Amino acid sequence: MKNIFLIAAVLSCLTSAAQIKKVSLQASGLTCSMCSNSILKSLKTVDFVDKVDANIKTSTFDIVFKPGKNIDFDQLKNKVEDAGFSVADFRIVMQFDPLLLNKDSHITSAGITFHFLNTINQTFQGEQVIRIIDKGFVSAKEYKKNSKLTALECYKTGIAEPCCIQYGIKKGTRIFHVTI
Amino acid sequence: MRIIVITVLLFSFKMATSQELYVYTEPASNMAAKNIGLRLTNILMRDKVAKKNRFFITPELMWGISKKIMVHATVLAGNGSNDLLLNGGSVYLKYRFLSNDEVHRHFRMAAFGKYSWNNSDIHDYAIQLNNQNTGYEIGLIATQLHHKVALSASASFLHVTDNINNKFAFGNKLRNAVGYTVSVGKLMLPKEYTNYQQTNLNLMLELLGQSNLYNGYSNLDVAPAVQFIFNSRMRIDLGYRFPVVTKLHRYNDRGTLLRFEYNFFNAY
Repeated sequence: MKNIFLIAAVLSCLTSAAQIKKVSLQASGLTCSMCSNSILKSLKTVDFVDKVDANIKTSTFDIVFKPGKNIDFDQLKNKVEDAGFSVADFRIVMQFDPLLLNKDSHITSAGITFHFLNTINQTFQGEQVIRIIDKGFVSAKEYKKNSKLTALECYKTGIAEPCCIQYGIKKGTRIFHVTI
Repeated sequence: MRIIVITVLLFSFKMATSQELYVYTEPASNMAAKNIGLRLTNILMRDKVAKKNRFFITPELMWGISKKIMVHATVLAGNGSNDLLLNGGSVYLKYRFLSNDEVHRHFRMAAFGKYSWNNSDIHDYAIQLNNQNTGYEIGLIATQLHHKVALSASASFLHVTDNINNKFAFGNKLRNAVGYTVSVGKLMLPKEYTNYQQTNLNLMLELLGQSNLYNGYSNLDVAPAVQFIFNSRMRIDLGYRFPVVTKLHRYNDRGTLLRFEYNFFNAY
Protein backbone atom coordinates (compact mmCIF):
# COMPACT_ATOMS: atom_id res chain seq x y z
CA MET A 1 0.00 0.00 0.00
CA LYS A 2 2.82 2.35 0.97
CA ASN A 3 4.60 1.61 -2.34
CA ILE A 4 1.49 2.43 -4.38
CA PHE A 5 1.10 5.69 -2.47
CA LEU A 6 4.77 6.54 -3.09
CA ILE A 7 4.47 5.81 -6.83
CA ALA A 8 1.30 7.88 -7.03
CA ALA A 9 2.98 10.77 -5.20
CA VAL A 10 6.00 10.64 -7.49
CA LEU A 11 3.80 10.48 -10.57
CA SER A 12 1.75 13.40 -9.26
CA CYS A 13 4.64 15.85 -9.11
CA LEU A 14 6.38 15.06 -12.33
CA THR A 15 8.63 17.42 -14.15
CA SER A 16 7.28 17.24 -17.66
CA ALA A 17 9.14 18.02 -20.83
CA ALA A 18 5.96 19.70 -22.06
CA GLN A 19 6.29 22.74 -24.31
CA ILE A 20 4.07 25.82 -24.22
CA LYS A 21 2.94 26.46 -27.80
CA LYS A 22 0.57 29.38 -27.36
CA VAL A 23 -1.68 31.26 -24.95
CA SER A 24 -5.15 32.39 -25.88
CA LEU A 25 -6.57 34.98 -23.49
CA GLN A 26 -9.85 36.81 -23.48
CA ALA A 27 -9.91 40.31 -21.99
CA SER A 28 -12.95 41.77 -20.26
CA GLY A 29 -14.30 45.26 -19.65
CA LEU A 30 -14.08 46.52 -23.22
CA THR A 31 -15.86 46.65 -26.55
CA CYS A 32 -14.08 49.33 -28.61
CA SER A 33 -11.14 48.88 -30.99
CA MET A 34 -9.04 51.58 -29.36
CA CYS A 35 -9.30 49.72 -26.04
CA SER A 36 -8.37 46.47 -27.79
CA ASN A 37 -5.41 48.22 -29.47
CA SER A 38 -4.25 49.38 -26.07
CA ILE A 39 -4.14 45.76 -24.83
CA LEU A 40 -2.45 44.56 -28.02
CA LYS A 41 0.31 47.19 -27.70
CA SER A 42 0.74 46.36 -24.02
CA LEU A 43 1.13 42.61 -24.67
CA LYS A 44 3.63 43.23 -27.46
CA THR A 45 6.04 44.95 -25.04
CA VAL A 46 6.64 41.64 -23.21
CA ASP A 47 10.11 40.39 -24.06
CA PHE A 48 9.19 36.70 -24.38
CA VAL A 49 6.24 37.41 -26.70
CA ASP A 50 6.85 36.85 -30.41
CA LYS A 51 3.48 37.55 -32.01
CA VAL A 52 0.00 38.60 -30.86
CA ASP A 53 -3.05 37.98 -33.01
CA ALA A 54 -6.09 39.99 -31.86
CA ASN A 55 -9.80 39.45 -32.46
CA ILE A 56 -11.44 42.79 -31.65
CA LYS A 57 -14.96 41.41 -31.73
CA THR A 58 -14.37 38.68 -29.14
CA SER A 59 -11.64 40.57 -27.20
CA THR A 60 -9.35 37.54 -27.55
CA PHE A 61 -5.60 37.62 -28.07
CA ASP A 62 -3.60 34.64 -29.33
CA ILE A 63 -0.01 34.91 -28.13
CA VAL A 64 2.93 32.99 -29.57
CA PHE A 65 6.25 33.00 -27.73
CA LYS A 66 9.88 33.33 -28.67
CA PRO A 67 11.64 29.95 -28.55
CA GLY A 68 13.82 29.24 -25.54
CA LYS A 69 12.39 32.09 -23.42
CA ASN A 70 10.90 31.65 -19.95
CA ILE A 71 7.19 32.35 -20.03
CA ASP A 72 5.57 34.29 -17.20
CA PHE A 73 1.76 34.10 -17.21
CA ASP A 74 1.48 36.67 -14.43
CA GLN A 75 3.28 39.19 -16.61
CA LEU A 76 0.75 38.66 -19.43
CA LYS A 77 -2.14 39.13 -17.00
CA ASN A 78 -0.50 42.27 -15.58
CA LYS A 79 -0.09 43.73 -19.06
CA VAL A 80 -3.84 43.39 -19.69
CA GLU A 81 -4.53 45.02 -16.32
CA ASP A 82 -2.03 47.82 -17.01
CA ALA A 83 -3.98 48.56 -20.18
CA GLY A 84 -7.00 49.12 -17.90
CA PHE A 85 -8.82 45.80 -18.34
CA SER A 86 -9.04 42.31 -16.89
CA VAL A 87 -8.52 38.73 -18.01
CA ALA A 88 -11.72 36.67 -18.28
CA ASP A 89 -10.26 33.51 -19.80
CA PHE A 90 -6.71 32.20 -20.10
CA ARG A 91 -5.98 29.01 -22.04
CA ILE A 92 -2.58 27.45 -22.67
CA VAL A 93 -1.86 25.16 -25.59
CA MET A 94 0.88 22.77 -24.49
CA GLN A 95 2.62 19.78 -25.89
CA PHE A 96 2.79 17.06 -23.21
CA ASP A 97 4.83 13.91 -22.99
CA PRO A 98 2.60 11.03 -21.76
CA LEU A 99 1.44 11.66 -18.19
CA LEU A 100 -0.98 10.03 -15.81
CA LEU A 101 -3.03 12.72 -14.12
CA ASN A 102 -4.86 12.16 -10.87
CA LYS A 103 -6.85 14.43 -8.61
CA ASP A 104 -4.61 17.30 -7.53
CA SER A 105 -1.68 16.27 -9.72
CA HIS A 106 1.14 18.81 -9.58
CA ILE A 107 3.19 19.02 -12.79
CA THR A 108 6.21 21.25 -13.21
CA SER A 109 7.10 22.18 -16.77
CA ALA A 110 9.44 24.84 -18.13
CA GLY A 111 9.79 26.19 -14.62
CA ILE A 112 6.01 26.54 -14.16
CA THR A 113 4.06 24.46 -11.62
CA PHE A 114 0.53 23.44 -12.53
CA HIS A 115 -2.02 22.01 -10.12
CA PHE A 116 -4.62 20.03 -12.05
CA LEU A 117 -7.98 20.30 -10.37
CA ASN A 118 -10.51 18.30 -12.36
CA THR A 119 -8.52 15.29 -13.50
CA ILE A 120 -9.19 11.78 -12.28
CA ASN A 121 -6.88 8.99 -13.40
CA GLN A 122 -6.48 10.08 -17.02
CA THR A 123 -3.63 9.82 -19.45
CA PHE A 124 -2.52 13.11 -20.84
CA GLN A 125 -0.30 13.43 -23.88
CA GLY A 126 0.30 15.36 -27.06
CA GLU A 127 -1.09 18.83 -27.69
CA GLN A 128 -3.60 19.78 -24.99
CA VAL A 129 -5.41 22.91 -23.90
CA ILE A 130 -5.45 23.74 -20.21
CA ARG A 131 -7.24 26.66 -18.59
CA ILE A 132 -5.93 28.68 -15.65
CA ILE A 133 -8.65 29.46 -13.11
CA ASP A 134 -6.61 31.47 -10.59
CA LYS A 135 -7.51 34.93 -9.35
CA GLY A 136 -6.99 37.46 -12.09
CA PHE A 137 -7.18 34.80 -14.83
CA VAL A 138 -10.97 34.43 -14.62
CA SER A 139 -13.67 36.98 -13.90
CA ALA A 140 -14.09 38.09 -10.28
CA LYS A 141 -17.48 36.40 -10.29
CA GLU A 142 -16.05 33.04 -11.42
CA TYR A 143 -13.16 33.22 -8.94
CA LYS A 144 -15.58 33.92 -6.08
CA LYS A 145 -17.72 30.93 -7.17
CA ASN A 146 -14.67 28.65 -7.39
CA SER A 147 -13.39 29.83 -4.00
CA LYS A 148 -16.60 28.59 -2.42
CA LEU A 149 -16.21 25.15 -4.07
CA THR A 150 -12.69 24.43 -2.83
CA ALA A 151 -11.08 24.57 0.60
CA LEU A 152 -7.57 24.51 -0.86
CA GLU A 153 -5.46 27.27 0.68
CA CYS A 154 -3.21 27.32 -2.40
CA TYR A 155 -6.14 28.38 -4.60
CA LYS A 156 -6.70 31.45 -2.45
CA THR A 157 -3.04 32.46 -2.36
CA GLY A 158 -1.70 31.17 -5.69
CA ILE A 159 1.41 29.76 -3.99
CA ALA A 160 2.29 26.34 -2.59
CA GLU A 161 0.78 25.94 0.86
CA PRO A 162 0.92 23.01 3.32
CA CYS A 163 -1.70 21.25 1.15
CA CYS A 164 0.83 21.04 -1.72
CA ILE A 165 3.92 19.94 0.24
CA GLN A 166 2.88 16.27 0.04
CA TYR A 167 3.29 16.56 -3.75
CA GLY A 168 6.91 17.59 -3.38
CA ILE A 169 6.38 21.28 -4.13
CA LYS A 170 8.43 23.76 -2.11
CA LYS A 171 6.37 26.15 0.04
CA GLY A 172 5.94 29.56 -1.58
CA THR A 173 6.32 28.32 -5.17
CA ARG A 174 3.94 30.03 -7.60
CA ILE A 175 1.25 27.52 -8.57
CA PHE A 176 -1.24 27.82 -11.41
CA HIS A 177 -4.53 26.00 -10.84
CA VAL A 178 -5.74 24.52 -14.11
CA THR A 179 -8.62 22.57 -15.56
CA ILE A 180 -8.70 20.60 -18.80
CA MET B 1 -37.35 70.05 -19.96
CA ARG B 2 -39.81 67.31 -21.03
CA ILE B 3 -38.28 67.23 -24.51
CA ILE B 4 -34.82 66.71 -23.06
CA VAL B 5 -35.95 63.85 -20.82
CA ILE B 6 -37.72 62.13 -23.73
CA THR B 7 -34.68 62.56 -25.98
CA VAL B 8 -32.40 61.06 -23.35
CA LEU B 9 -34.77 58.13 -22.79
CA LEU B 10 -35.08 57.49 -26.54
CA PHE B 11 -31.33 57.49 -26.83
CA SER B 12 -30.97 55.16 -23.88
CA PHE B 13 -33.35 52.59 -25.35
CA LYS B 14 -31.63 52.33 -28.70
CA MET B 15 -29.44 49.40 -27.72
CA ALA B 16 -26.51 49.25 -30.07
CA THR B 17 -22.76 49.39 -29.92
CA SER B 18 -21.66 52.50 -28.11
CA GLN B 19 -18.66 54.09 -26.53
CA GLU B 20 -17.66 55.70 -23.28
CA LEU B 21 -15.14 58.10 -24.81
CA TYR B 22 -17.34 61.08 -24.06
CA VAL B 23 -16.60 64.51 -25.46
CA TYR B 24 -17.56 66.85 -22.61
CA THR B 25 -16.97 64.58 -19.63
CA GLU B 26 -14.58 61.84 -18.55
CA PRO B 27 -15.74 58.25 -17.98
CA ALA B 28 -14.70 56.32 -14.87
CA SER B 29 -12.17 54.37 -16.97
CA ASN B 30 -8.58 55.49 -17.31
CA MET B 31 -6.04 55.52 -20.08
CA ALA B 32 -3.70 52.54 -20.10
CA ALA B 33 -0.58 52.80 -18.00
CA LYS B 34 2.33 54.39 -19.89
CA ASN B 35 -0.02 55.89 -22.48
CA ILE B 36 0.46 59.51 -23.43
CA GLY B 37 -2.36 61.39 -25.12
CA LEU B 38 -2.25 64.77 -26.81
CA ARG B 39 -5.33 66.84 -27.31
CA LEU B 40 -6.11 70.14 -28.93
CA THR B 41 -9.57 71.42 -28.14
CA ASN B 42 -11.02 74.42 -29.94
CA ILE B 43 -14.18 76.02 -28.66
CA LEU B 44 -16.17 78.78 -30.30
CA MET B 45 -18.75 80.31 -27.97
CA ARG B 46 -21.27 83.09 -28.29
CA ASP B 47 -21.00 85.86 -25.70
CA LYS B 48 -24.63 86.88 -25.65
CA VAL B 49 -24.04 90.02 -23.60
CA ALA B 50 -21.18 91.52 -25.62
CA LYS B 51 -22.66 89.97 -28.77
CA LYS B 52 -19.26 88.63 -29.78
CA ASN B 53 -17.75 85.26 -30.57
CA ARG B 54 -15.31 83.96 -28.00
CA PHE B 55 -12.65 81.51 -29.12
CA PHE B 56 -10.82 79.20 -26.70
CA ILE B 57 -7.98 76.85 -27.50
CA THR B 58 -6.82 74.22 -25.02
CA PRO B 59 -3.76 72.09 -25.72
CA GLU B 60 -3.80 69.17 -23.29
CA LEU B 61 -1.37 66.45 -22.25
CA MET B 62 -2.81 63.24 -20.79
CA TRP B 63 -0.68 60.72 -18.95
CA GLY B 64 -1.64 57.24 -17.81
CA ILE B 65 0.55 56.81 -14.73
CA SER B 66 -0.81 53.42 -13.73
CA LYS B 67 -3.94 51.41 -14.44
CA LYS B 68 -5.69 53.33 -11.65
CA ILE B 69 -4.32 56.86 -11.99
CA MET B 70 -4.19 59.33 -14.85
CA VAL B 71 -3.43 63.02 -14.97
CA HIS B 72 -4.15 65.77 -17.46
CA ALA B 73 -2.43 69.13 -17.79
CA THR B 74 -3.96 71.85 -19.93
CA VAL B 75 -3.12 75.33 -21.05
CA LEU B 76 -5.98 77.69 -21.83
CA ALA B 77 -5.81 80.50 -24.32
CA GLY B 78 -8.73 82.65 -25.39
CA ASN B 79 -9.60 85.90 -27.04
CA GLY B 80 -11.00 87.73 -24.02
CA SER B 81 -10.02 90.98 -25.66
CA ASN B 82 -9.41 90.67 -29.39
CA ASP B 83 -6.08 88.91 -29.37
CA LEU B 84 -5.53 85.31 -28.47
CA LEU B 85 -4.06 85.44 -24.97
CA LEU B 86 -2.90 82.94 -22.43
CA ASN B 87 -5.69 82.84 -19.84
CA GLY B 88 -4.57 80.04 -17.57
CA GLY B 89 -4.35 76.31 -17.22
CA SER B 90 -5.51 73.37 -15.21
CA VAL B 91 -4.47 70.03 -13.80
CA TYR B 92 -6.77 67.06 -13.49
CA LEU B 93 -6.31 63.74 -11.72
CA LYS B 94 -8.54 60.69 -11.89
CA TYR B 95 -8.29 57.68 -9.60
CA ARG B 96 -10.22 54.58 -10.61
CA PHE B 97 -11.06 52.77 -7.38
CA LEU B 98 -13.57 50.21 -8.58
CA SER B 99 -13.56 48.02 -11.67
CA ASN B 100 -15.88 45.05 -12.16
CA ASP B 101 -15.11 43.58 -15.56
CA GLU B 102 -17.00 40.94 -17.50
CA VAL B 103 -16.74 40.16 -21.22
CA HIS B 104 -18.01 43.25 -23.11
CA ARG B 105 -19.19 44.75 -19.81
CA HIS B 106 -17.88 46.73 -16.90
CA PHE B 107 -18.94 48.84 -14.00
CA ARG B 108 -16.35 51.32 -12.87
CA MET B 109 -16.08 54.15 -10.43
CA ALA B 110 -13.49 56.85 -10.13
CA ALA B 111 -12.77 59.90 -8.02
CA PHE B 112 -11.41 63.01 -9.67
CA GLY B 113 -10.01 66.38 -8.80
CA LYS B 114 -9.31 69.40 -10.91
CA TYR B 115 -7.60 72.71 -10.22
CA SER B 116 -7.75 75.62 -12.64
CA TRP B 117 -5.96 78.93 -12.77
CA ASN B 118 -7.38 81.80 -14.79
CA ASN B 119 -6.69 85.51 -15.24
CA SER B 120 -9.89 86.44 -17.11
CA ASP B 121 -12.53 88.91 -16.11
CA ILE B 122 -15.21 87.17 -14.07
CA HIS B 123 -18.53 88.10 -15.65
CA ASP B 124 -20.86 85.75 -13.85
CA TYR B 125 -20.95 83.44 -10.87
CA ALA B 126 -21.65 80.24 -12.79
CA ILE B 127 -18.44 78.31 -12.14
CA GLN B 128 -16.59 77.71 -15.39
CA LEU B 129 -13.26 76.10 -14.63
CA ASN B 130 -12.64 75.50 -18.32
CA ASN B 131 -12.70 79.11 -19.43
CA GLN B 132 -13.32 81.70 -16.72
CA ASN B 133 -12.49 80.77 -13.15
CA THR B 134 -9.69 79.89 -10.79
CA GLY B 135 -10.92 77.18 -8.49
CA TYR B 136 -11.26 73.48 -7.93
CA GLU B 137 -13.64 70.63 -8.48
CA ILE B 138 -13.76 67.24 -6.77
CA GLY B 139 -16.17 64.51 -7.66
CA LEU B 140 -17.13 60.95 -8.41
CA ILE B 141 -17.84 59.22 -11.73
CA ALA B 142 -19.67 55.95 -12.33
CA THR B 143 -19.72 54.28 -15.75
CA GLN B 144 -21.62 51.20 -16.83
CA LEU B 145 -20.74 49.45 -20.06
CA HIS B 146 -23.20 46.70 -20.92
CA HIS B 147 -22.53 44.95 -24.18
CA LYS B 148 -22.93 47.92 -26.46
CA VAL B 149 -24.39 50.64 -24.27
CA ALA B 150 -22.23 52.92 -22.13
CA LEU B 151 -23.91 55.13 -19.57
CA SER B 152 -22.02 57.44 -17.24
CA ALA B 153 -22.91 59.85 -14.47
CA SER B 154 -20.89 62.17 -12.30
CA ALA B 155 -21.44 64.42 -9.30
CA SER B 156 -19.01 67.02 -8.03
CA PHE B 157 -18.41 69.93 -5.71
CA LEU B 158 -17.02 73.14 -7.20
CA HIS B 159 -15.44 76.10 -5.49
CA VAL B 160 -14.06 79.31 -6.99
CA THR B 161 -11.46 81.62 -5.56
CA ASP B 162 -10.39 84.94 -7.04
CA ASN B 163 -8.76 84.95 -10.43
CA ILE B 164 -5.12 85.88 -10.88
CA ASN B 165 -5.82 89.55 -11.67
CA ASN B 166 -9.53 89.75 -11.05
CA LYS B 167 -11.59 89.26 -7.94
CA PHE B 168 -14.78 87.20 -7.71
CA ALA B 169 -17.11 90.10 -7.01
CA PHE B 170 -20.35 88.25 -6.25
CA GLY B 171 -19.76 87.57 -2.55
CA ASN B 172 -18.33 84.58 -0.73
CA LYS B 173 -21.70 82.86 -0.35
CA LEU B 174 -21.88 82.27 -4.09
CA ARG B 175 -18.46 80.60 -4.45
CA ASN B 176 -19.74 77.02 -4.16
CA ALA B 177 -21.76 74.84 -6.49
CA VAL B 178 -22.61 71.25 -7.20
CA GLY B 179 -22.05 69.82 -10.68
CA TYR B 180 -23.78 66.80 -12.22
CA THR B 181 -23.62 65.08 -15.58
CA VAL B 182 -25.22 62.17 -17.41
CA SER B 183 -23.69 60.85 -20.63
CA VAL B 184 -24.60 58.15 -23.12
CA GLY B 185 -22.72 57.03 -26.21
CA LYS B 186 -23.52 54.89 -29.23
CA LEU B 187 -21.26 53.40 -31.89
CA MET B 188 -22.71 53.83 -35.38
CA LEU B 189 -19.83 52.37 -37.42
CA PRO B 190 -18.37 49.88 -38.04
CA LYS B 191 -21.27 47.44 -37.87
CA GLU B 192 -18.74 44.71 -37.14
CA TYR B 193 -15.11 44.94 -36.06
CA THR B 194 -12.68 43.21 -38.40
CA ASN B 195 -9.47 45.22 -37.98
CA TYR B 196 -7.90 48.17 -36.17
CA GLN B 197 -7.88 50.37 -39.27
CA GLN B 198 -11.65 50.69 -39.49
CA THR B 199 -12.94 54.20 -38.80
CA ASN B 200 -15.25 54.32 -35.79
CA LEU B 201 -18.15 56.75 -35.75
CA ASN B 202 -19.75 57.41 -32.38
CA LEU B 203 -22.67 59.59 -31.36
CA MET B 204 -22.81 61.04 -27.87
CA LEU B 205 -25.44 62.86 -25.91
CA GLU B 206 -24.51 64.53 -22.65
CA LEU B 207 -26.36 66.53 -20.01
CA LEU B 208 -24.21 68.86 -17.94
CA GLY B 209 -25.61 70.81 -15.02
CA GLN B 210 -24.60 73.01 -12.16
CA SER B 211 -26.51 74.37 -9.18
CA ASN B 212 -25.26 77.10 -6.89
CA LEU B 213 -25.24 75.86 -3.30
CA TYR B 214 -26.33 79.17 -1.80
CA ASN B 215 -29.32 80.17 -3.90
CA GLY B 216 -30.05 76.95 -5.80
CA TYR B 217 -29.89 78.69 -9.20
CA SER B 218 -29.01 76.19 -11.91
CA ASN B 219 -27.95 75.80 -15.46
CA LEU B 220 -28.39 72.66 -17.50
CA ASP B 221 -26.77 72.12 -20.88
CA VAL B 222 -27.39 69.54 -23.57
CA ALA B 223 -24.40 68.54 -25.66
CA PRO B 224 -24.78 66.23 -28.63
CA ALA B 225 -21.53 65.25 -30.32
CA VAL B 226 -20.12 63.13 -33.11
CA GLN B 227 -16.79 61.38 -32.80
CA PHE B 228 -14.45 59.71 -35.28
CA ILE B 229 -11.73 57.29 -34.28
CA PHE B 230 -9.02 56.51 -36.84
CA ASN B 231 -6.58 53.61 -36.73
CA SER B 232 -7.71 52.90 -33.15
CA ARG B 233 -5.49 55.71 -31.84
CA MET B 234 -6.61 59.05 -33.22
CA ARG B 235 -9.81 60.84 -32.35
CA ILE B 236 -11.74 63.82 -33.72
CA ASP B 237 -14.71 65.17 -31.76
CA LEU B 238 -17.28 67.67 -32.94
CA GLY B 239 -19.87 68.86 -30.44
CA TYR B 240 -22.40 71.57 -29.83
CA ARG B 241 -23.38 72.54 -26.32
CA PHE B 242 -26.40 74.67 -25.52
CA PRO B 243 -28.40 75.51 -22.40
CA VAL B 244 -31.93 74.41 -21.64
CA VAL B 245 -32.02 75.83 -18.09
CA THR B 246 -30.41 79.24 -17.69
CA LYS B 247 -31.29 80.51 -14.21
CA LEU B 248 -27.57 80.47 -13.29
CA HIS B 249 -26.52 83.17 -15.69
CA ARG B 250 -23.54 82.92 -18.03
CA TYR B 251 -22.20 85.32 -20.67
CA ASN B 252 -20.86 82.46 -22.80
CA ASP B 253 -23.49 79.79 -22.65
CA ARG B 254 -23.41 77.98 -25.96
CA GLY B 255 -20.83 76.95 -28.49
CA THR B 256 -19.17 74.49 -30.79
CA LEU B 257 -16.27 72.22 -29.88
CA LEU B 258 -13.73 70.67 -32.24
CA ARG B 259 -11.10 68.45 -30.70
CA PHE B 260 -8.15 66.47 -32.05
CA GLU B 261 -6.64 63.70 -29.97
CA TYR B 262 -3.73 61.36 -30.60
CA ASN B 263 -2.65 58.49 -28.35
CA PHE B 264 0.80 57.01 -27.91
CA PHE B 265 0.45 53.52 -26.41
CA ASN B 266 3.33 52.33 -24.23
CA ALA B 267 5.07 55.63 -24.81
CA TYR B 268 7.97 54.87 -22.47
